[in-house]
Amino acid sequence: MPTRALVTSYEQELQLFPDRWHRIGLLLFAVLLLGWPLLANGHWLTVGNLALVAVVGSVGLMILTGFAGQISMGHAAFLALGAYTAAILGERLALPFWGVLPISGLVAAAVGLAIGPFALRLRGLYLAIVTIGLLFLVSHLLHSFPDLTHGVSGISVPMYSWFPGETNDHSFLSRSQWGPLQLDGDQKLYYLFLLLALGATWMGKNLQRSHTGRAMMAVRDNDLAASVLGVDPARTKVVAFGISSFLAGVAGAMFAFQQQFITIEPPFDLHMSIEYIAMIVLGGIGTVFGAVTGAVAFVLLSPLAELLGRHLPLLDQLSSAQQSSVLFAVLLIGFLVFEPLGLLGLWLRTKRYFLSWPFRY
Amino acid sequence: MEQLSQLLASGLALGAIYALVALGFVVIYRASSVFNFAQGELVAFGALSMYSLAKLGLPWPVAVVAAMAATGLLASGVERVILRRMVGRPVFVTIILTLFIGILLRAAMTIVWGPETRGMMATPWEPMATVQLGSVTLLVNSLSAVAAAGLALAAFFLLIRRTRLGVAMRATSSDQEVALALGIPVGRIFGVTWFVAGALAALAGIFLGMYPRMVDINLGFIALRAFPAVIVGGLDSPGGTVIAGLLLGVLELLCQGYINPLLGDFGHNLHAVFPYVVMVLFLVVRPYGLFGTHDVERV
Repeated sequence: MPTRALVTSYEQELQLFPDRWHRIGLLLFAVLLLGWPLLANGHWLTVGNLALVAVVGSVGLMILTGFAGQISMGHAAFLALGAYTAAILGERLALPFWGVLPISGLVAAAVGLAIGPFALRLRGLYLAIVTIGLLFLVSHLLHSFPDLTHGVSGISVPMYSWFPGETNDHSFLSRSQWGPLQLDGDQKLYYLFLLLALGATWMGKNLQRSHTGRAMMAVRDNDLAASVLGVDPARTKVVAFGISSFLAGVAGAMFAFQQQFITIEPPFDLHMSIEYIAMIVLGGIGTVFGAVTGAVAFVLLSPLAELLGRHLPLLDQLSSAQQSSVLFAVLLIGFLVFEPLGLLGLWLRTKRYFLSWPFRY
Repeated sequence: MEQLSQLLASGLALGAIYALVALGFVVIYRASSVFNFAQGELVAFGALSMYSLAKLGLPWPVAVVAAMAATGLLASGVERVILRRMVGRPVFVTIILTLFIGILLRAAMTIVWGPETRGMMATPWEPMATVQLGSVTLLVNSLSAVAAAGLALAAFFLLIRRTRLGVAMRATSSDQEVALALGIPVGRIFGVTWFVAGALAALAGIFLGMYPRMVDINLGFIALRAFPAVIVGGLDSPGGTVIAGLLLGVLELLCQGYINPLLGDFGHNLHAVFPYVVMVLFLVVRPYGLFGTHDVERV
């Protein structure tokens, strides 16, 4: 496993796929991603879809928390806004999904931009708690307009691929046939989500390498020093909130399309915010790689945790959701105490071990 | 007028509970700049252990002290086993850690006590005993909550102002390295701090369990509602949080009594988020809270 060649120019520094080995690895990964819905059966396909939703959401949180250093416990609020926008637009206006997704993102981004100014005056914990407040306010708002959101009874989310006509309903989730290729609803959803997740990852990666992303990291590390260097911390923080909540809104709409029927709480509560924090911590704070691996690992490990939880003493008294959250809590505490860089840190350590083999340093 | 004074009285009782919970946050924050998101679980643990101890037949005051001690020991145990390793690492990481510790404690409590709700243990007085004060009827339970909060606060201020231990705690909170250099066992001080926070949480849990008279593991959600008190009072000001706790308790009930009915559907349950609204508005004016320290940065 060779490392990247010596960087001698700025263009090389900016390359996304610096050498042959990265390209081969990515190609294999791409084949796996594309083939997954053909290999996996119903349950694992659903897990794959949820993982892609989580990737979009956690890239969003990574931009806010990992890049710009603003702790947010209100990520679920933006997901809720996106999900409910999708549901209401589908139900009231019968908009097709490709119109719904960006609008959901924009609605969430608008709220994110409105929160941004608070972040200018607040630091760290104060901000974390204000975002918890935002979560409660959003949940209260969703509960208090039952005409639109159907309150506690939940709302179904139609997914049209075109404006519905008189004769056909154009539901995206119906089975379709293209030549020899036959795809059912979940498989189509998977490919759509894959596209969106790749888009979000690409955007995150590009943001990280652009001056906006670097400004965010400067503000994260020391906003006073950043402003001395000519970075406008206020603008940077607001931009971070806007982009992050846009992605969260899109992820919320994706989640709604995947679930087809959503309620306000359980899914969109503080626990969901904590899960997203868990993902970025698990992956390793501050990198897009961390956001993606953390999200995928988190979602893929959940069914495994349920399988495992059944066989552990004491844990069998808990509900399956609690079993998996206990195992995750233990895993994350372990990571935070022993490997703060998360999965990225493990990967780097493994790589270093093989690079310097047979020596141990 | 009668409604107003009734609401004020009940608001103070609720506020006293908020103040106790919020004080637990502040004690830990002052010592180590860590915001303990597992505080709510400590509240629930305090109430549940009180339930079990009272069931064993311990007299009420003994059970209260024992439950406080047990919760304190649990809190300092958590600090010793997990959080002590995090000294010198970014505080952000430790704060996230407390979120997951909360999840673990919650699961452990579900295993030990089960998810069902139970009635709170008997108190030395009649459970529904009331006191007539002018035109206002007060539950003895809520009066006792206010009294307990007052006593706990007085004891806490005595501890940090008048004892050697308190001086050591204040020194640790102002600068850990200097405190270490002066021979203060900073690690042990953290342990004591968590013990105090745990004991305060237990006290809050016990009185919270007496007020709506039930105990289950969801009691910890009160902590979420005490956050605004912590923030409005200022994260590092014990006195401020107590004042803010009482204030927000009163405001919450006033909102429930007067604003909720006016707003129709929107007003339904508005009082539950009202403290948060107050907090957000307040932070725009004073981002460091009522009595919090205003960080001044010099370049």
